[in-house]
Amino acid sequence: MNRHLKNLDQEIRDHIERETLANIERGMTPQDARAEALRAFGNITRVTEQTRAVWSVIWLEQLRQDVRYGARMLLHNPGFTAVVVLTLALGIGMNTAVFSVVNAVLLRPIGYPHPERLVWIGDYDTFLKRDIVRSSDFAGWREHATSFSLLSAYSRQQASMVTARGATNVNGVAVGGDFWSITGARPALGRLFGPEEQDKIVLSWDLFEHEFSADAGLIGQTVMLEGRAATLTGVLPREFRLQFPKWWIASELQPVEAYFPLVMSARERLRGVQVVGALKPGVGTRQALAELEVMEKDILAQDPNRDRANLHLEALQEQIAGNARPALLVLFAAGGFVLMIAAANIMNLLLARAAARRKEIAIRASVGAGRARVIRQFLTESLLLALLGGAAGLGLARGAIALLIRISPNAVPRLEETSIDGWVLTFTIAISVGAGVVFGVGPAIALWRSNLHGALKESARTSSSSFGLRVRRLLVAVEFALAIVLLTGAGLMLKSFWLMNAHPPGFSPESVLMLKLRPRFANKDAQTAYLRQLVERVESAPQIDAAGVSIWVAYSGVTGFPNDSSANQSHTVRLNFVSLGFLNTVRTTLVKGRWLNDADPANMILLNESFAREAFGAADPVGRSLRLNQPFTVAGVVSDVKYSKLDAAPPPEAYIPFQQLPLLPGLPIDLAIRTSGDPLAAAAGVRKLIAEADPGQPVYGVTTLDRLLASSIAPRRFNLFVLGSFAATALLLALIGIYGVIAYSVAQRTHEIGIRMALGAQRTEVVGMVAREGMTIALAGMVLGFAAAAGLTRLMASLLYGVKPTDLPTFAAVAAALGATALVACWSTALRAALVDPMVALRTE
Amino acid sequence: MSTEERVELLQGTLDLLILRTLLRGREHGHAIAKAIERNSADVLQVEQGSLYPALHRLLKRGWISAEEGVSENNRRANYYSLTAKGRRQLRLETAKWDKLAQAISRILRTA
Repeated sequence: MNRHLKNLDQEIRDHIERETLANIERGMTPQDARAEALRAFGNITRVTEQTRAVWSVIWLEQLRQDVRYGARMLLHNPGFTAVVVLTLALGIGMNTAVFSVVNAVLLRPIGYPHPERLVWIGDYDTFLKRDIVRSSDFAGWREHATSFSLLSAYSRQQASMVTARGATNVNGVAVGGDFWSITGARPALGRLFGPEEQDKIVLSWDLFEHEFSADAGLIGQTVMLEGRAATLTGVLPREFRLQFPKWWIASELQPVEAYFPLVMSARERLRGVQVVGALKPGVGTRQALAELEVMEKDILAQDPNRDRANLHLEALQEQIAGNARPALLVLFAAGGFVLMIAAANIMNLLLARAAARRKEIAIRASVGAGRARVIRQFLTESLLLALLGGAAGLGLARGAIALLIRISPNAVPRLEETSIDGWVLTFTIAISVGAGVVFGVGPAIALWRSNLHGALKESARTSSSSFGLRVRRLLVAVEFALAIVLLTGAGLMLKSFWLMNAHPPGFSPESVLMLKLRPRFANKDAQTAYLRQLVERVESAPQIDAAGVSIWVAYSGVTGFPNDSSANQSHTVRLNFVSLGFLNTVRTTLVKGRWLNDADPANMILLNESFAREAFGAADPVGRSLRLNQPFTVAGVVSDVKYSKLDAAPPPEAYIPFQQLPLLPGLPIDLAIRTSGDPLAAAAGVRKLIAEADPGQPVYGVTTLDRLLASSIAPRRFNLFVLGSFAATALLLALIGIYGVIAYSVAQRTHEIGIRMALGAQRTEVVGMVAREGMTIALAGMVLGFAAAAGLTRLMASLLYGVKPTDLPTFAAVAAALGATALVACWSTALRAALVDPMVALRTE
Repeated sequence: MSTEERVELLQGTLDLLILRTLLRGREHGHAIAKAIERNSADVLQVEQGSLYPALHRLLKRGWISAEEGVSENNRRANYYSLTAKGRRQLRLETAKWDKLAQAISRILRTA
C-alpha cells in the first residue's frame, strides 16, 4: 500500500475529533458537536475510497473488491451458482463446438503454400453430380494455359498391393502435374516421384507404419502393385493431409494411404481427374476461366462429337467449404439461439435474485456505496458467472468436438482438423463476456428503477418489482419462441431423415453384407467364368439367403429413346451388370413383365421404373427394344430401390446380365450378400471363399448396406444430430424457464392464494389461475416462435429432403409437443400452489 | 447564508485553494479545511472529507509533500507543505485565474 495511505484512517479520525473539539468550544453539546463534525466531513467510506482511488488504478482496485465480494456471494449460494454455470456451460459449450467446426472448415485457410491462389477447376457431370475433368483436357491446360503458375491433377485410385503381410487393398490417390509443389509436401523419408515417373509409390506415414513396420530400409525397394513392380520412393510425414476435395469420402471411410503417379498413357487419356491449380499472382478466377473456355472452344471445333464441357473455376477453399456452408451457418445460428435461451434463463434467475437481494443492496447503498457502484457489483458477479460458465463450456466443447469427429468423421470436409485454437478461445471469451453483460444488465436496470430506500422498510418477500416480473415473463415468452424455431428446424430435418430412410418393406439393409473386389482378367471368358464361379460359391455358402455381383458404369450420350421429343436429346444412364441374385439381394420387386433367367438370350435386360419412365413415358416397355451400348430387349421393369444414395432419387438404371460385361480392367466389383445371421460375422467365410479362388485377391470395403447408406447421408446425419441436440437443450431450458417463473410467481402470491382459498376459492380454480398465467406466456411465445420459424426455416431449404420448409404437419407436431410439455410444467407447478394450506399461507406474513 | 447560495467547489478550484493555503507554511488536514472555509468566507462550502482525495491528488503530482509531525497539543499528525514544483504551479494557476476573472468581469461590465 502507498505510504501516504498508511495513516489515512487515523488522519480522518483525527480530523473529525479536531472538528468536534472546535464545535464544543463554540458551545455545542458533545453529542451535537460530533454529529455536526460527521455531517461536515461527509461520507467517510466514500472519502476513504476516493482517496485510495487517487493512488490505485481505480477500476482495478474496485474490480478486485467486486470480484472478491462476487466470489463470496457465489460460494454462499452453491446451488444457484451450479445451475447458472451448468446452463451457461451448455450454451457456451455448444456454441464453441460449432464455432470450432466453422473455424476449421470455413475460416482457417488450407495448410498449403499460397492457399489464396489455389483454385478448383471443375467440369460438372450432371449424371454423377460431381466435377470430372478429362485428363486430356488437363494435359492441354498444363501445356498451354498461361493463367496458372502450377496445375495438378488427382484421381482416386485403389490398388491391390502385395507385401510381406499379404494382399491388401490400398486406398490411394493418383497424382500428376505439380501436385507436390501445390501441396508443398516434403517427404519424411526418401523422395517424392516426379511428374514424368511411372510405377512409383509414396506412402502415408500410417500405411508405412502399418504395412511396412516403419522400416526405413524398404525405401527404394520394390512392391507389387496391381501385379506390376513399383518402387517405394518415399514416405510422407505423419501430419501431411490431402486437403483437396474428396468426392469419394461418403463411401470410403479410410484416409488416403498412398500416392501413385497419374498415368497419362494414350489408353487412359479419357480418364476423369480432379484438377487444382495455383493462379499466377494478379490473375483472377474470371480471367483464368475465360482462358480455359477459349481453349475448350478450340477442342470442340476439332472434335464436334465431344460433349460440351461445363467448366467452372473457384477458390479451392470455397469448393471445399461451399457445400458445408449453409448447414454450418444454420447450425451456428441455432447455437446462438441456444445461448440466447440460456442467457434469458440466467437473467431470469438473476432478476428473481435481485428482488430478493434488495435489502442487502439498500444497506450497502446506505453505508455509502453509490448506485453505479452497486450496479457494477452486479455486473461483476454476472461476468464472473459467465467466465466460469465459459471455462466449463470450453471443457464441454472439447468433449463435443471429439464426439462429433468420432461419430461422423466424413460428414463435413476438414472436420478432423477441428480443434480449439486461439480464434476459438477468443470467440468463447467474447460470447461469455457478451452473455455476462446481457444477463447482468437486466437485473441492473431493475435495480436502477427500483426505490432502494423503500426496500429497507418493506419485507423482502413482497417487494418484487413489477418491472422485474414483467421482464421475466417476456424473457420466458422469447425463450419459447426461440425454442419453437429450433424444434421446427430439427423437426423438419427429422422428417427429411425419415423420408430418406423410408425403405420398401423387407429391404432391411442391416442384414446385407457389402464388399468389393478388383480382380483383373486376361480375357472376357476368364472374367465371366470367375464371376459365375464367385456367385455360385457364395450363394451356396451357409447362412446366405441371396447374393449377387454388381458392376456398374455411368453411360452417357444415349439417344433415341421412344419418349424423346427431339432426335438429339442425350441421356446418361447407369448400366448395371449384375447376376440375377443381386436384384433379389437388394429386394427389387417386379413391376411389369418378367424376371430374367439363364435360358434367356443374351440381349434381354430389366429396367428400373425411373429408366422406364424416362425412356418410354407412360407406354409399356416390356418387349420393346432399346439401344444402349448395344441393342437390348426389355424383359421387365423392376421397382426403384435406393441402394446406394439415400438423399437422391434412384438414377435411371438398366440391369444387364454380367455375361454381357465387356472386359474392363480393374473395375471394382460389388458383392452384395443377404445373410440370415449377422452379416459381418459371415464376412470371414466369404473372404475365405474368395481367397480359395485367388489368394492374391484383396477384399476391401467390407461393411453392411445400412452403414453404406448411412454414410451416404453422413452430412445430413451430422446436421440432424447437432440441430437435434440444440433443439432438445432449447426445449429443456425453456421448460426450466417457465417452471421457474411460475414457481416464483406462486411463491410471491402464496399469501394472496391463501386469502382466495380462505374466501372460498376451490383448489381447481387456483390451479386454473396459476396454470393460465403460465400458458399465456407459453402461447404468446409459441405464436411469436411460429411466425419466426415460418420465415427462418426457408433458409434451411437446402438441408431438407422431400419436405417443404413450411411443412404444416411438422409445425403442428412441434406445437403439440411443446404445448403439451409446457402444460405439464405449468400444471405441476399450479398443483403445488393449490396444495397450499390457507392457514399456513396467511400466517407466512 | 443558505445552502442554495453556496457554490459547489470545482475540483480544480479546491486544488488551487489548498496550494494557496499552504503558501503560508505547512499545515495538517483539518487546519487546511478550516483555513479554506475561513478565507472563502463560507461562500465556497465543501464537505471537509473531499479535502483528502484532493490532497492525495496533489501529493501524487508532486506539488505538495507530506511528513509526520507533532501538533500544537502534542498529537501526531500528517503535515502537508508546498514543494518547489507546487509553488511554480500555484503562480501559473493564479495568473491564469486572474486573467480569467478579469475577462469575466470585463464581459459582465460591458454587457
